[in-house]
Amino acid sequence: MSVTAPAFDAINYPMECPDVNSLWAKKYILALQNITAVFDGFKALDLHAFAIEHNELRVIIGPNGAGKTTFCDIVSGKTRPTTGQVYFDGQDITSLSEMAIALKGVGRKFQTPTVYDSLTTFENMELALPGNQNPWRNLIHKHSADDREKIFHQLERVRLADDAHTPAKYLSHGQRQWLAISSLILSGPKLLLVDEPAAGLTDAETVLTAELLLELRGDHTVVVIEHDMDFVRQLEARVTVFNEGQILAEGSLDTVRENEEVKEAYLGR
Amino acid sequence: MLSFILCLCLRATADDAAIQTHIQTLASRKSSERAVALDALVATGDARMVPFFDAYRIGSIYLREGVPFIGGDVITDNNLDQFVSLTSVLTGETLLDENGEPELIPLLELENLSPNRKERIKVRSVSMLLNLSSPDKDTRLKAAKQAGVSPLQTDAIPFLTGLAENDPSRKIRHTAAESMALIEFGTSDDVDVRMDAIRSLGELNSLRALALVENLLEKDETLTPKQTAIVTAARKNIITHQQKVKFFDNFKFGLSTGSIYILMALGLAIIYGLMGVINMAHGEMMMIGAYTTFVLQKVFGHGPESPQNHFFLVALPASFLVAALVGWVIERLVVRKLYHRPFESLLATVGVSFILIQVVRLIFGDNQSSNSPTWLVGGFEVANDMTLSFNRVFIFFLTMAAVAGVMVLMRYTTFGLKVRATMQHREMAASVGIHTRRMYSMTFMLGSGLAGLAGCALTTVSGITPDMGQNYIVDSFLIVVIGGVGELIGVVCSGLGMGIILQSLENSFFSPVWAKIIILTMVVAFIQFRPAGLFPPKGRLADV
Amino acid sequence: MSEFNKVSLQRAKRHLLIMAVLGLGIVPLMYFTGLMPIETVNMLGRYLCFAIVAVGLDLIWGYTGILSMCQALFFTVGAYGMGMYMAHQYPSADNPLIPQSLYVVYPYDIGQGKGEEILPWFWWPFKYFPLAVILSILVPCLMAALVGLGGFFSRVRGVYFAILTQAITVAAFLFFSNNDMFLCGTNGLSQFRTFLGFDLGDDKLKLIMYMMTALSLLGVVGLCQYVVHSRFGRILVAVRDAEPALRFQGYKPHHFKMIAFAFAGAIAGLGGMLYTPQMQIITPSNMAPIESILIVVWVAVGGRGTLTGAVIGALFVNLIYSWLTSPISIGSVQVWSPDFWPILLGLLFIAVVLVIPTGVVNIKLPSFGRKKEVKA
Repeated sequence: MSVTAPAFDAINYPMECPDVNSLWAKKYILALQNITAVFDGFKALDLHAFAIEHNELRVIIGPNGAGKTTFCDIVSGKTRPTTGQVYFDGQDITSLSEMAIALKGVGRKFQTPTVYDSLTTFENMELALPGNQNPWRNLIHKHSADDREKIFHQLERVRLADDAHTPAKYLSHGQRQWLAISSLILSGPKLLLVDEPAAGLTDAETVLTAELLLELRGDHTVVVIEHDMDFVRQLEARVTVFNEGQILAEGSLDTVRENEEVKEAYLGR
Repeated sequence: MLSFILCLCLRATADDAAIQTHIQTLASRKSSERAVALDALVATGDARMVPFFDAYRIGSIYLREGVPFIGGDVITDNNLDQFVSLTSVLTGETLLDENGEPELIPLLELENLSPNRKERIKVRSVSMLLNLSSPDKDTRLKAAKQAGVSPLQTDAIPFLTGLAENDPSRKIRHTAAESMALIEFGTSDDVDVRMDAIRSLGELNSLRALALVENLLEKDETLTPKQTAIVTAARKNIITHQQKVKFFDNFKFGLSTGSIYILMALGLAIIYGLMGVINMAHGEMMMIGAYTTFVLQKVFGHGPESPQNHFFLVALPASFLVAALVGWVIERLVVRKLYHRPFESLLATVGVSFILIQVVRLIFGDNQSSNSPTWLVGGFEVANDMTLSFNRVFIFFLTMAAVAGVMVLMRYTTFGLKVRATMQHREMAASVGIHTRRMYSMTFMLGSGLAGLAGCALTTVSGITPDMGQNYIVDSFLIVVIGGVGELIGVVCSGLGMGIILQSLENSFFSPVWAKIIILTMVVAFIQFRPAGLFPPKGRLADV
Repeated sequence: MSEFNKVSLQRAKRHLLIMAVLGLGIVPLMYFTGLMPIETVNMLGRYLCFAIVAVGLDLIWGYTGILSMCQALFFTVGAYGMGMYMAHQYPSADNPLIPQSLYVVYPYDIGQGKGEEILPWFWWPFKYFPLAVILSILVPCLMAALVGLGGFFSRVRGVYFAILTQAITVAAFLFFSNNDMFLCGTNGLSQFRTFLGFDLGDDKLKLIMYMMTALSLLGVVGLCQYVVHSRFGRILVAVRDAEPALRFQGYKPHHFKMIAFAFAGAIAGLGGMLYTPQMQIITPSNMAPIESILIVVWVAVGGRGTLTGAVIGALFVNLIYSWLTSPISIGSVQVWSPDFWPILLGLLFIAVVLVIPTGVVNIKLPSFGRKKEVKA
């Protein structure tokens, strides 16, 4: 693969409070302002300003305890921030429940892939189909041939079609990762938060995972959280480095790797 | 009358012959003669007259060849002949047969003295008056209290005045003053005197006068506004006091009930927190502690007649150890395979509790009552009508000691460190060489032992049944739910809170049923706001 | 419909058919040929009522992972509903307005003289059979919905919810045992005479009630089979496996849980409603905390997550119970005393967890579950 690293400039985050009606809010799909998350006096996250552009593929890296997962938790509504606001698609979603945020179009894959163990691969995918969240309709709902085709298409993409009717608990770790990512893709959110998609995968599996994510580029906004530098390189995206809950650096992978502070944070002091 | 009182005060030892003669006269049919004789007996002021009067009142005085005796219980043999044992009025000695047993004399050989109603009342008040100057504190107190009960006697007032002013015991002084006011109110025709009495009853916070005062306010229509004001003020005083007493009682009972809850919930919380096991047989650990105490009491032969108080010093550690041992066996056989599987452990331990209850029932039968060591009987009075009983205080301090012990164990010992490490990350703890299974086993024993201790403590306030644990298990779990498993202090707070609230609700205008329902509603409401308990874990570990 | 689901649904249909043949065919046949006395038919009818509750519990515990320890409460509430209807059929001689059952314990200290009592308001609807039937199912259903509202919406999960339900059961037990509640206190409802025009001793009634119960059970199992094979059922399983993940897909797990829980409550009410005419007495002891735990054990013994297992478990444990709660002698030696029953029951609890965690229906067929698919 020929690698010509594109140059990504750091976003010049505006400091004024974004207004729902302003162009600013429309400019970014996700914007965080003055977000802090404090647990027992420990500041897990402290972001003065942070934003993701529409249809951007963004990678967040950082050492352990940098606040990456806490960032995901706050955006997806799992944790409430101590202070600050989260704007998604121009709307304040800070106080919404995780269900409401998910329905607005924020999808998430967890660090350890969560799949429904007793359900088959196909059934797992079926539950990810968008727009079927009403309990009563589920009693009579049957998926269409179209849905079925969509599911199998995606499963074939990750070589899971043969295991479509295997309960997910018998899948390998890599297969579970792919199933989780596939469900996420199938549910078609506007913003995908992908927490460590390459963790525990072989090199070959990593390449496929990167391809899956790259395919989404252009019509989805994707935020990938990762440790694996080779994987990050494959994504060719703008990289944000978190450290101790704050943004340390932002830009292309090569730019941030040259950053002295980043080196220090990774190598220790 | 004055001379009569003086004589009583002198407490002279009168001439035996004279007493005997007077008593013999009591057998006379002429009530006038008997009245004179009785007066004469009273006038002797002899201490021996107290048991005599008591026996006379219930018709237990017999004359045998003219000599007066106090009779015991009448015994009827198979031929319906009746016998009685006799104790001399004059010498206080019991007649014995050749074997040294009390001799049973046929009733037919004896002449029984039976008092008429008037005499009975007189004798009763006289013995009360005599008791008022008894050297024994309890007798004096009892008499002082009795003086305020109908039939009221103005004769008692001078004695009560003396007691109210000079008695060394504060409680007797108070009771005497109270009875005095009651007598004055009940016997006097002078409205002013009566109002004074009411006023002082109010000042004395007399609970005994509450019904009287309320009756007066309701029924008596002759009261002037000024008098009404006095009575109302007294009523207000007394009711305030009554509420204080009620609050104190609730607090006291709540504290001891809460203490038992804490001992139970502490074990449940550490067992659930460390190994994810819901131990439904925890109540039975408590039952085992109680039965251990009961068995030891029988072994030591402790009873109210022959106190062997040191049995309790053995029972305290023994109940802990036996329950811990049983806990160890259960852990080995059942719980070991069920770590971090709360549902399965819940079901299996319900089974364990069935077995334990039934086995104990088959061995010991259904109900047993136990006797506390005598030093836990009684209490000290903090204020009027507010007595802290020793057993409840003991339970509270025992619990506090146990809580402190567990806290020290968890915070400052290697064992505690290992337990906390295992609790936070089992695999990690195991990989640094902590024997996690042993930690589990020991924690389970510790929890069971604490429940056993609770059982031992519970024997001092209530009876013992095989299913006694069932009454506590659900509430104890609720306390763990409220307190959370993370912090021991949460369990302590919720345990005491639950005990006091439950007790207050039960004793106020709610019945126990409603109290339970209200508590439950409160718990459900509480969980809405704090699903992880009083002191929830925070951060990424919190999965709620 | 996935392949997997199809296989499972076919199996479910097969089981339903076997149950129908056994329950509606074999048992009546044995009765009519004289092989089975009416007492046994009646006993089976009662046990089928228990099986109905067990199926409801299996839906919420086996499939959804909610351990409820208040199913016996819903059962008894349903039973009281029908009991109140039956009590109305035997009015007191002194005051025809008041059922004899209630009359015995009617409190007089509220100013109503003998013969002047007023029927408590909530007894009125139960005078009419259709209303009694509807309420016997609806009231437990609403109670369950309320419990679900308190528990699931605040995300009380797992054992915490189980403990909460047990506490509710204790409170309700005290409530029903209280004499002031116009529910006849600990005596319960027992003064019955007729039911739907039949004398209660009538064999025909017993047979009809048995058939009604068997039909209801089949209906309930069929309905539950439909639910668990629908998309709704798969979401219930997803709740059991990873409830938080479901939220991030936009599902509201608490809604699904509450609906399933209320449904199970209604099923329990139905079971209780059918139970009263067959048992002819209903007391608060039917909702004692232990009873709810017993229902859990029936399901566990049968095999949770398999509706057939719940039915088998309920019948199995209860048949053993009826056999072992009378003394058994071999010759002149008494080898079994009913005193040992709680010990055996306790051992059963332990065994079901440690020895046969998948339940009896899965013992002989290790590939009965979903593992079969892997090998294929």
